[in-house]
Amino acid sequence: MRSNDVLGFIFAGTLDDKIPELAASRTTASIPIGGKYRLIDFVLSNMSNSGINNVGIVAKSNFLSLTDHVGAGSAYDLSKRRSNLTLLTPYGGKTFSNYVETIYNMHGYIEHCREEYVMISQGNVVTNFDYSNLFDFHSKHNADVTVVYKKGVIPAGYDRPITMDIDAGGKVRQIFVKPENTSAEVANFAYGSFLVKKELLMNEIRQALSLNQLDIKRVIQNLTDNYNVYAYENTGYTAFISSINAYFDFNMDLMKKEVRDELFNPKRPIYTKVRDDAPSRYGLDSRVKNSIIAQGCVIDGEVENCVISKGVYVGKGAKLSNCIVMQDSKIGANTNLNYVIIDKDVQIRDGRSLMGFDSYPIYIAKKSVV
Amino acid sequence: MQMFPKQEVVAMLLAGGQGSRLGVLTKKLAKPAVPFGGKYRIIDFPLSNCVNSGIEAVGILTQYQPLILNEYIGNGQPWDLDGMHSGVNCLSPYQAIRGADWYSGTANAIYQNINYIERYDPDYVVILSGDHIYKMDYNKMLEYHKEKNAACTIAVIDVPLEEASRFGILNTHEDGEIYEFDEKPEHPKSTNASMGIYIFSWKELRKYLTEDEAKEGSSHDFGKDVLPTMLAAGERMFAYPFEGYWKDVGTIDSLWEANMDLLDPNVTLDLKDIYSRNPMMPPHYVSPDANIQNSLVADGCNVEGDLEFSILFSGVTVGKGATINSSIIMPGAVIEEGACVQFAIVAENTVIGKNAKVGQRPEEVADRDKWGIAVIGENTVIAEGAFVPAKEMIDSESEVAGNEK
Repeated sequence: MRSNDVLGFIFAGTLDDKIPELAASRTTASIPIGGKYRLIDFVLSNMSNSGINNVGIVAKSNFLSLTDHVGAGSAYDLSKRRSNLTLLTPYGGKTFSNYVETIYNMHGYIEHCREEYVMISQGNVVTNFDYSNLFDFHSKHNADVTVVYKKGVIPAGYDRPITMDIDAGGKVRQIFVKPENTSAEVANFAYGSFLVKKELLMNEIRQALSLNQLDIKRVIQNLTDNYNVYAYENTGYTAFISSINAYFDFNMDLMKKEVRDELFNPKRPIYTKVRDDAPSRYGLDSRVKNSIIAQGCVIDGEVENCVISKGVYVGKGAKLSNCIVMQDSKIGANTNLNYVIIDKDVQIRDGRSLMGFDSYPIYIAKKSVV
Repeated sequence: MQMFPKQEVVAMLLAGGQGSRLGVLTKKLAKPAVPFGGKYRIIDFPLSNCVNSGIEAVGILTQYQPLILNEYIGNGQPWDLDGMHSGVNCLSPYQAIRGADWYSGTANAIYQNINYIERYDPDYVVILSGDHIYKMDYNKMLEYHKEKNAACTIAVIDVPLEEASRFGILNTHEDGEIYEFDEKPEHPKSTNASMGIYIFSWKELRKYLTEDEAKEGSSHDFGKDVLPTMLAAGERMFAYPFEGYWKDVGTIDSLWEANMDLLDPNVTLDLKDIYSRNPMMPPHYVSPDANIQNSLVADGCNVEGDLEFSILFSGVTVGKGATINSSIIMPGAVIEEGACVQFAIVAENTVIGKNAKVGQRPEEVADRDKWGIAVIGENTVIAEGAFVPAKEMIDSESEVAGNEK
């Protein structure tokens, strides 16, 4: 099989209930992250770089910012005669209340696409992953389903996580749906990314619906009864944005050179919607240490251990430490901010002080004035 | 000939010159493609001006080293110049039944592309050059052109009297009508310097281009041939006064100065609404050891050293303890640990080795005439500990050995 025979299928709202602050007015996949990106840029770029030409994004609600960001998909090279990006939103009164019904409601789209396989992925995962290696693995093992997993402690925020018992050859012996996430021991954690033939997927979904089995995790769990299910390990750096703390920690991870070098591998670039920002300007009194700074910023103050997104202004005498500032926010003069996550278009007036803590960063909502 | 929907205005951008005064910077690059301002190329300014003025058809006349320029322009999408029936086209010299000709002068380049212009059936043609940094609404100039019922309008900028003899000066009546061209006059009568921006009514221009082409001994140049002929024939020609930032970046010194102007809060040029192709790089990283003051830094940089009055293009690496002062570092260059770069332009993908010293401060050089901006060509390696003095120009794809001690 080749990558061009695989349809990419991304769920944009993954765990949006676990990040209520950031996902209040947007899908999880369109949360701004890493200074100039949105979460979905990672999975979309990975798919495009792996040779997938056709991608559908399922968005059940709040998809305005997502639509605005991905547009027709040209930033990811997915808007050409033979490559497409399609936003799949509720229609005809059908709601996307659970995965089984959602996939079924999309059967028209899925079956109409010319690809034989479908790669299901989640919009809340940050990684630089080459899907084509997974496709080779799948063909080599003559697998029916290949599930991607991460070995490690299951991140907080995943309730009822799926784990797998895998034999030495990579074949899955058994799939477990844990009743709760104890986050204690190391497990083979399946995070909702798997490759399957379209026909097999749709048969299983129809079957599940006819039995009124609406829990996708149970559907997946039962796959081992009748099919060759294999597991493929993602050994690269991976961040699961499953809570506001995970969001904060990932942004801070970007200060590590090895993380940046791996995620932003120039051979497999992460694409994003282009904005024509000028290079960032540092003023005469600026003092910036250990920080990620996007373009279009004007920095006249002090910034340490921060991620500063495009178009942000930091006034004279401002002191920012351990903050994430999203695009076009204005931080006034002589402010003092520590452990604060500042959403888009926020104004922090001159002289204000805001202090969060390592384990509890303060969140300032989009367009707020402090 | 296929006719496209009519365009009132077509812009023709002269981008074929070598720009020899930029030395190694234009060895493999047409002047308009020279990087500028941390993420742009010079041509982004006239191109962005065109789209921001509602001009949707732009022909770029290329001749000297067009590869990078062609690749950069591509389908014109970053400037919104990828319309179904309009947009940007790179026009290089070509073979025809009558034979093949290089563009022998600015007017000849336009003459050879009359077919391109006529497809749009325009009323006006704007002639631009690819070596100026400025923001201008060509629409306002066009309105002036219409109001004056002119055959040709030339944009002028007020320059200091002591500098006027470096420019082409236009002497005008009170209403702006031009009565004399004074090319680099020893004793200038006015301070209206031509900015190299012309608007012509197409019918008139077409007539004069055709006549000029047939004229023996003509160098087929706008400034030397076509404009003086039009003036002598009594055509209505007007000077359009422009106010704002404008700089010719045709020399190393002026290129360096124009870049430094971006760091000067008193300079009126802002980079808003200037479009460019954007490299796909992550935001830049500033390490705990870095010190950055009064500088511009683009995406993809990794800064561990000290920056002052400098411009880093995308993907530049600055090692620990390196110092960069009053310099321009172009995309992908690496300044290794302890290196010192001052008053210099370092071209793309060049490596400045550990503890090397490139360029000097003016006060370090006793003889003022020997001081100037040091320039290192692209893909060059300056070895560990090497010294490149002020005003030196190092060829691209070369190596400079370190000092034997």
